[in-house]
Amino acid sequence: MSLSAPVRPLACIKQAIRQCRIELQQTRRYAVPATEAEYPSLQTRYPPPTPGFRPSQAIKQNRFETGLKKIPVVPPPRSTTKACPDPISILTNKQISVLDPTGARTRLFSPANPERVQPGDILVVRLRTGDPVSGTVLNIRQRHQPIDTAILLRNQLTRVGVEVWFKVYSPNVEGIEVVQRAVKRARRAKLYYMRQPRHDVGSVEGVVKQYLRQRSGGPLGSREANTGRKTGSKKGRK
Amino acid sequence: MPPRSGLTPFALTPRFLCPSVPRTFARTIRTIQPTPRTRTDRFNHGAGLPILGASKSAAFLRKEAMLPLRTGALAIKKGMTAIYDPATAKRTACTVLQLDRCQVTGHKRRDAHGYWAVQIGCGTKEARNVTRAERGNYAAQGVPIKRHVAEFRVKDAAGLPELGSIVTADLFQEGQYVDARADSRGMGFAGGMKRWGWSGQPASHGNSLSHRVMGSSGASQGSGSRVHPGKRMAGRMGGEQQTVQCLKVLRVDKENGIVVVHGAVPGPKKGIVKLQDAIKKPWPQVELSVGVSKMGSTAEALESTI
Repeated sequence: MSLSAPVRPLACIKQAIRQCRIELQQTRRYAVPATEAEYPSLQTRYPPPTPGFRPSQAIKQNRFETGLKKIPVVPPPRSTTKACPDPISILTNKQISVLDPTGARTRLFSPANPERVQPGDILVVRLRTGDPVSGTVLNIRQRHQPIDTAILLRNQLTRVGVEVWFKVYSPNVEGIEVVQRAVKRARRAKLYYMRQPRHDVGSVEGVVKQYLRQRSGGPLGSREANTGRKTGSKKGRK
Repeated sequence: MPPRSGLTPFALTPRFLCPSVPRTFARTIRTIQPTPRTRTDRFNHGAGLPILGASKSAAFLRKEAMLPLRTGALAIKKGMTAIYDPATAKRTACTVLQLDRCQVTGHKRRDAHGYWAVQIGCGTKEARNVTRAERGNYAAQGVPIKRHVAEFRVKDAAGLPELGSIVTADLFQEGQYVDARADSRGMGFAGGMKRWGWSGQPASHGNSLSHRVMGSSGASQGSGSRVHPGKRMAGRMGGEQQTVQCLKVLRVDKENGIVVVHGAVPGPKKGIVKLQDAIKKPWPQVELSVGVSKMGSTAEALESTI
């Protein structure tokens, strides 16, 4: 059934249709270039593109738009998310520049500072309104937002345990002073065990009073006498 | 049996057996257009008569006070933080939202669609990842391809900005109130205690395997020997659009597209939030052109503010 075979005169319509079909199939056969027959490694997986739109071949070659009308695309405007990927830090820095212009508070709680506040230190916090509050630092809370850094101070006022949270950047907090650093580095970040009477530091009023007296230039005798005193409680050990 | 006609079969031409279809083919029905109906006068529609409650014009009149005068914007929820007031030392929790490539991508008109609305698009998308139909729609409007698209209903045609206008963060003024609409965080299949706030059963005292269960699902024979339709039960919770009204705008940064609102906004971080003037507060006293600039003029607008 090839063209070279003699074509019989049309005996019936059926034969004519059969011949037409064969001719169509032969014209549709993909032409393979000579080079690929010589070099098998250059043989393409799929036949090269033929003129006209053939979806199956185009899609295999990642050409989805061949033969289709080109749709114009308007370029997008300037992207704010690319220009400013972290708007929250911009807001935080703007606030810190107002609330902490010298950067002292940031330094006090910065992990890069070796003299930062650590749990176990005794602090005194001066407020804009009211008496100064002092206590042992149980917890320094630094979560996702640096502007909300907070410290928990524990003290005993007339044998009653009192814990107070302070937002470090709050305008109410006029100043934070380290009265006494922890003798030994606490092996925990959160010293909640200090709520137990066995580990409770107790009242820090005495220490704070001495510190304030020393700062204002008072007698130093009592302070020096206490430096060598051994403390019986096991701080930092569970 | 039908009456037999006097004509013999051969009297008729054989063509009647195979009637030829004319060259102009019969028009097939491709669409069904509604036939224009004249409104019946049964229900008191007329020139001098008051507008009936159950009509579109009456619905528009009812909504007139509630529909905002100007469009809203789509924003991305970036997260929450706090703002301290240096004077009063008051801490205000706030949500930071960012507008990204917000543009007017379409209009809805009362004469064509039955209501007035602005279609806003935000973000962008790769052209090859968008169907040709969608791409053609954006090309027809003359706007870039957008990732998210939403409509903001407005009161009348005056609230429709020009097609392609860029909506910036200074659409909102510091101190004004906005409504925030977003899809809430999905909680999955939530139990009754989480979904409806039931209190559960005792933890001990002999309770066996029933600490958080529903308990009873209703009365018995007297209540129909069935569970009433709509009975609160465990099921999927969240992932629906929620509206938080009257959120105060605390800060606006046009350059970076930042809008900071008081309080919380539904949805997770990176979620899309629809912001519009609060309907329960007086409309902001600003011109309709504030915050909306023509496409291609953003650079000039930014330079003018600097």
